[in-house]
Amino acid sequence: MVSTLNPDMAISVAYIIVAPFLGGLIVGLDRKITARMQNRIGPPIIQPFYDLIKLWGKEPFLASSFQPILAMGYFGFIFTGLILLAFRQDLLHIIFTLTLADICLIVAAYNSKSPYSNLGGRRELLSMLSYEPLMVLTAISVQVVTGTFLVKGIFEYGTPLLLLMPAAYVAQQLVLIIDMKKSPYDVAGSGHAHQELVRGVYTEFSGYTLALIELGHWTKLVFILSLISLFWAQNLIIGWALALLLWFIAIVADNIYPRLTWKSMLRTSWVLGFMLILANFIALAIWRVI
Amino acid sequence: MNSEILISVAVILPILAGLILLIAGKGYRKVVVLPTALILAVTSILLMEERGFSWTPDPVIQTVVMGLDLLLLLYFLYVGFHNENVPVIGLTLIQALLVGYFEFTGGGHHGEPIMMVDGLSSILLLVINFIGSLVCIYAIGYMDEHEEHLDLERSRQPRFFLFLLLLLGAMNGLVSSNDVFWLYFFWEITTLCCYELIRHDGTEIANNNALRALWMGLVGGVALLGAIYIGNYALNTLSLATLIESSPSPLLYLAFALMAIAAFTKSAQLPFQSWLLGAMVAPTPVSALLHSSTMVNAGVYLVLRFAPAIQGTLLTYGIALVGIFTFMFTAIVALSQRFSKAILAYSTIGNLGLIIFCASMNTSLSYSAALILLMFHAMSKGLLFLCAGIIENRLHSRNIEDWEGLLAKLPITTGVMIIGIVSMFLPMFGVLLGKWAAVGVASSAPVFPSIVMITMMVIGSSATTLFWAKWLGKLIILPIREHRIKMEKVSIWYSISTLTILGLDIVASLGASYMVQHVVSIAVAPHYELAWSPGLLKLSTQLGSFMIIPLWIAMAAILFAGFLIHRYKGGNIVPAYLAGENVEGDPIAFRSTADTVVDYRVSGMFFDPDITEGKWNPWGTLVGILLNLIVLGLVII
Repeated sequence: MVSTLNPDMAISVAYIIVAPFLGGLIVGLDRKITARMQNRIGPPIIQPFYDLIKLWGKEPFLASSFQPILAMGYFGFIFTGLILLAFRQDLLHIIFTLTLADICLIVAAYNSKSPYSNLGGRRELLSMLSYEPLMVLTAISVQVVTGTFLVKGIFEYGTPLLLLMPAAYVAQQLVLIIDMKKSPYDVAGSGHAHQELVRGVYTEFSGYTLALIELGHWTKLVFILSLISLFWAQNLIIGWALALLLWFIAIVADNIYPRLTWKSMLRTSWVLGFMLILANFIALAIWRVI
Repeated sequence: MNSEILISVAVILPILAGLILLIAGKGYRKVVVLPTALILAVTSILLMEERGFSWTPDPVIQTVVMGLDLLLLLYFLYVGFHNENVPVIGLTLIQALLVGYFEFTGGGHHGEPIMMVDGLSSILLLVINFIGSLVCIYAIGYMDEHEEHLDLERSRQPRFFLFLLLLLGAMNGLVSSNDVFWLYFFWEITTLCCYELIRHDGTEIANNNALRALWMGLVGGVALLGAIYIGNYALNTLSLATLIESSPSPLLYLAFALMAIAAFTKSAQLPFQSWLLGAMVAPTPVSALLHSSTMVNAGVYLVLRFAPAIQGTLLTYGIALVGIFTFMFTAIVALSQRFSKAILAYSTIGNLGLIIFCASMNTSLSYSAALILLMFHAMSKGLLFLCAGIIENRLHSRNIEDWEGLLAKLPITTGVMIIGIVSMFLPMFGVLLGKWAAVGVASSAPVFPSIVMITMMVIGSSATTLFWAKWLGKLIILPIREHRIKMEKVSIWYSISTLTILGLDIVASLGASYMVQHVVSIAVAPHYELAWSPGLLKLSTQLGSFMIIPLWIAMAAILFAGFLIHRYKGGNIVPAYLAGENVEGDPIAFRSTADTVVDYRVSGMFFDPDITEGKWNPWGTLVGILLNLIVLGLVII
């Protein structure tokens, strides 16, 4: 069967295997850059891996017996989404799979009757409500441009999406900030444990369950950056440069802004985000008519 | 001959069974209901094979139907005068005038077949007879529990089962009528059953809500009669098939617009949403039946029936707009609801909106999306109502705030309920397959209507995810004081009904490819080419592909891995973090000032006071009325 393995397939498989580790490196890089911005030296880039291994070996405590499965579900469904993405499947379906992962995290947070974790779960739900519609709207715009929801269609389409949907690209900044749990929109628990003593949605996770959540977070980061890189799918180096640009802006924003309320998060994403993508949509339609 | 017997069985058997139960004692209830349910389910499968036949019953029967129709109107008139309800009296009089005029001025039968079963009817028959029968079985157990608290001198169950079964028979008749007058007749019987079932408990609120359901139903009846009258005037025919196949004219579009209004009343679309919300005062089997397999599907059925005839007209967008607006509006209002049945009711109205949207958009993809949603929604919603009813009877509360940690108290029922909730909004189940296709429908429409529809759909879907997810979270909050999970006793009637629907839902979701290829396709085929290319692992359309089985495999792998890790790593269960102020041995209390022990509770998220029914519903109704007027107005253009 090895002969049927085409190079595309090999790249996809390699990507799937590498992605979680790549996520760890990106998180390490994030910590380094953040430290430098704050005039600190910062940890080594592979510090997140040390942290993960340490977490895994810690004495296990659970808040309820569902926690391990739900934490596994968070990582597992993000990973499933990543596999679907690597094999260039349906964009909308990939986003639905991501929702599934988020629901696992939220339910796990609700699951332990801790006021902190419940509040975190609730806020995670609101974060999801803020960024997911933007992803769905972007996927729909992509479908209108390329004629299909399949990621494959973006690769086969001649023009880079960025040239057709610049405003939608800008809207991804909101998605990324909310998803990376960066200020000002880190309401559910910040990505860096630098602002709070009790870490919102993560409060009740410890040891290996927290390690699984962390692994899921890394994978999700690579996953979202990969989605953004599709704005220049014709040359993925440019695509990743675009994605990392937004990533860098998110880190800068994190260091500049304090946390805002969930209402302002929801308002910004639903007003500004919706407007950016829909305006892009209308502009495209008018341009096509002309 | 064979098919004629089958269709007669489907219509008459439930009615007969209901009449028997009216006189027979309590002991006969299961002896009658169980075989009836079984026969109905088998009949609906057999009818799938026989589809494509038509039949005209004996003229005597036709006269009987006419007579019964007048009797029914007389009864409505009595109800109107008895309750001094002006809308009911007025609307009934209008109908009586129209029916009378029609019968005495040479209206009537023109030789077309009266009954006709095609692909669309047979899908509806499957839904009605499978889910509906299971709800009746559930009712055997439920009504006994229900009457325990009521201290009645005489059981009111005989009349309850009569109307429950009559509703099934009427629905079977409705979806297999080709003669619009018969359709109208069965339509009115469903209105009657709905009225009688909602007011079953006889309380004042039940009576008021039943009257509201009645007058709204009668609005639909008037609209339907109007459509019949116009159709007969324009084409001199009473055959639904002829109306749909004949070349379109503005007059005919008016008839279809009126049918759409009639459909909105039955499917509780804005501005007629309030009757279905009021219906939750009735015993649970009524809600389960109205929301999942009968009543509300009558409206959807009508839209699916005439939709191919309005292809390419503005009317398409008008009706679609009502549907999609209803979807968005109800999803947002559902966020604020605390009562389980109210959330379920809003979700039903919203999903029906989505189905009507898909049905009226009139492409191959949209038509199949509507059917997929119709079938899977019926199963999931039926399941949810049945579980909600059991839980309500146990806890004596329908407030979901009181359902906290229910998984430990009622593990089986809550477990099924959780799967039911998951099946409404997560991609392992068929409902989301339908929604996925619906997004494709909205995005591939012409760009300007598309923008409005997409925005509404995205907002609606996000709100839907939110209200289901927070409910899901509430149910499995775990440490509670009674931490040990106790096994619950579930009566045989509850187990049969809920587990069968659950099984059907899972099997149908896993076999979605088969469902699309062999069930949905039979209703789509007469009008369009099937837009799907179903495979074993994924269902593809021109727009993309949806994968259910791979997700189940992923889920199995995750469960297995999670189980292994848990097994291997273990971990003691410790109390939640409470800033160090935990109370030893009491998981839900903390130490307050001066070491006072205080219980804490976590409340749900309901967005007060931004979203409340009182504030939002008037606006929703207003927009609904405007959109309905637009539907009628579009005919003129």
